[in-house]
Amino acid sequence: MRVTESVILFIYLIVMTLIGIYFYKRARQSESDYFTAGRSINTFVGSFAAFAAVASSSSLMGAVGGGVANGLPFFLTYAFGVIAIFPFAMFLIAGQIRRSGVKTVPDFFYQRYGKSVQIVSALVVVIGMTFYMIPQLTASGIIGSYVLGIDYTTAVIVLGLGFTLYAALGGMWAITYTDLLQGAIMLIGILLLAGFILVDHGGLSNLLNSALAASPTFGDVNLPWMSYFGLFIAFLWFGIVSPSVVMRNFASRDEKIARRSAMGATILYILLFLAGFVVTGAGAALDVIGSLENTDMVFVSVIEHYLPPILGGIMLAGIMAAIMSSADAMLLAISAGVAHDIYKKHINKNASERFVTGLGLMVMIVASVIGIIFAIHPPGIIAVMVGWVGGFLLSSFGFPLVLGIWWKRANKTGALVGMLSGAVTFLILVMTQVLPTNAEPIVAAPVSLLLTMIVSVMTEAPPKEIQDRVDFYHGMSEETH
Amino acid sequence: MKRSKVKDPGIILTIVLAVYAALVFIWWPADVYLGGISLVGWLMFIGLFFWVLIGVIYVIWIEKLDQQQ
Repeated sequence: MRVTESVILFIYLIVMTLIGIYFYKRARQSESDYFTAGRSINTFVGSFAAFAAVASSSSLMGAVGGGVANGLPFFLTYAFGVIAIFPFAMFLIAGQIRRSGVKTVPDFFYQRYGKSVQIVSALVVVIGMTFYMIPQLTASGIIGSYVLGIDYTTAVIVLGLGFTLYAALGGMWAITYTDLLQGAIMLIGILLLAGFILVDHGGLSNLLNSALAASPTFGDVNLPWMSYFGLFIAFLWFGIVSPSVVMRNFASRDEKIARRSAMGATILYILLFLAGFVVTGAGAALDVIGSLENTDMVFVSVIEHYLPPILGGIMLAGIMAAIMSSADAMLLAISAGVAHDIYKKHINKNASERFVTGLGLMVMIVASVIGIIFAIHPPGIIAVMVGWVGGFLLSSFGFPLVLGIWWKRANKTGALVGMLSGAVTFLILVMTQVLPTNAEPIVAAPVSLLLTMIVSVMTEAPPKEIQDRVDFYHGMSEETH
Repeated sequence: MKRSKVKDPGIILTIVLAVYAALVFIWWPADVYLGGISLVGWLMFIGLFFWVLIGVIYVIWIEKLDQQQ
């Protein structure tokens, strides 16, 4: 057990739980408070919250580990995709979906297409986000067992329940404010680490030379082209297809704040990746990849080598922050999918707001327990699992959502067929493994696009009221409903 | 006032983003090296700053359009 690091990690967990308890009363006031923090978040807090929701275990540990194992161009592909997440989402959906006034992504599908599309989308959200908890829990288990000196299974259970507690208690309020803190810890931690590395090596140029001397293929493109392209596409779309990220827009005060928060998050994200660039170089220079059980542990080796224990503890808390701040947003998306989109909308329309938020709280705990059970024996490495979820959501959601905002002619039947065909094609490709890993959406997403368009054109156009709503999303008319 | 969706800043900048990404992935100069790192990597590195730039352009542009409206 590493005592200093453990103490810092323990203090960090206590603070997060206290934030959850502090916001408990406010969050339970209404559904709007629990799922969207009362739509009151400003640009500064919103930027950190959006940044922290996207920056996950894969951004920090996965990108650096992948970069050291597969070369710097692999790390840069990761960065090339993720830095584009917020600009791309801003260009296509951020302001418009905030203007629609909905609380969840399936809510948007209900407003634009109707009940059947909403139910399918709620199921996709619940399945996709529950599966997405697994890599986050895996990462927390790896870090927890390393720092606390306990076995992996215990670490997954303890830390998994730890972040579930504050998220379930305080809903979007607690998640947003813990994300502000977690985003700051993550960024300060990695910038400090990069500073220590650069001072140690006497600058970036010397660091890259050391990395190339230790690992001569570090600068090479070592994988097939399709792996890089698939990775880029899956990340690029993440801000559009991942409900855990899209829900941040709903919490913003208005569409202008939603866009500015996305911009702020992009600037924070590029700082994270520039520091990550340095950490990747240091990981290659250390030449430890062959001796590690898991490539994701390179990051931890770099921390151990370059930082004194107290700063190392802060950086490890930063990694935990990255994991928790993404996992809590996923839990909220699952909770909203079951309590708001399925129960309140279709099972008991007269349910009180207090009951729905209570149900949301219970759903988070159940989803977390399911995630923990799977994470004890994870089905793949972190980067691959993350790629699967991103690909699944893109293949099913991506085009019905974007077309719903931009194309008046997109209708219910088209969206339903597009969503189901994309999801089924993706699952078949994963099971048959005819394409390289994580390249599945390159085929499945265009299938969804084509079928959404073809079926929409072949069937009846949406009613005028719905078509007017598309103008409203773009601020071209007043509210129509 | 109606604005054409084709001239929307979001659509125009999506095309700009797609053109740069296409340049990198179609050209794919994997065997050209600068400072020991493949040019593919450096093109992506430049792309990071380009993404931030077009993001800032979008926010300013759309807010100006909203004001005019």
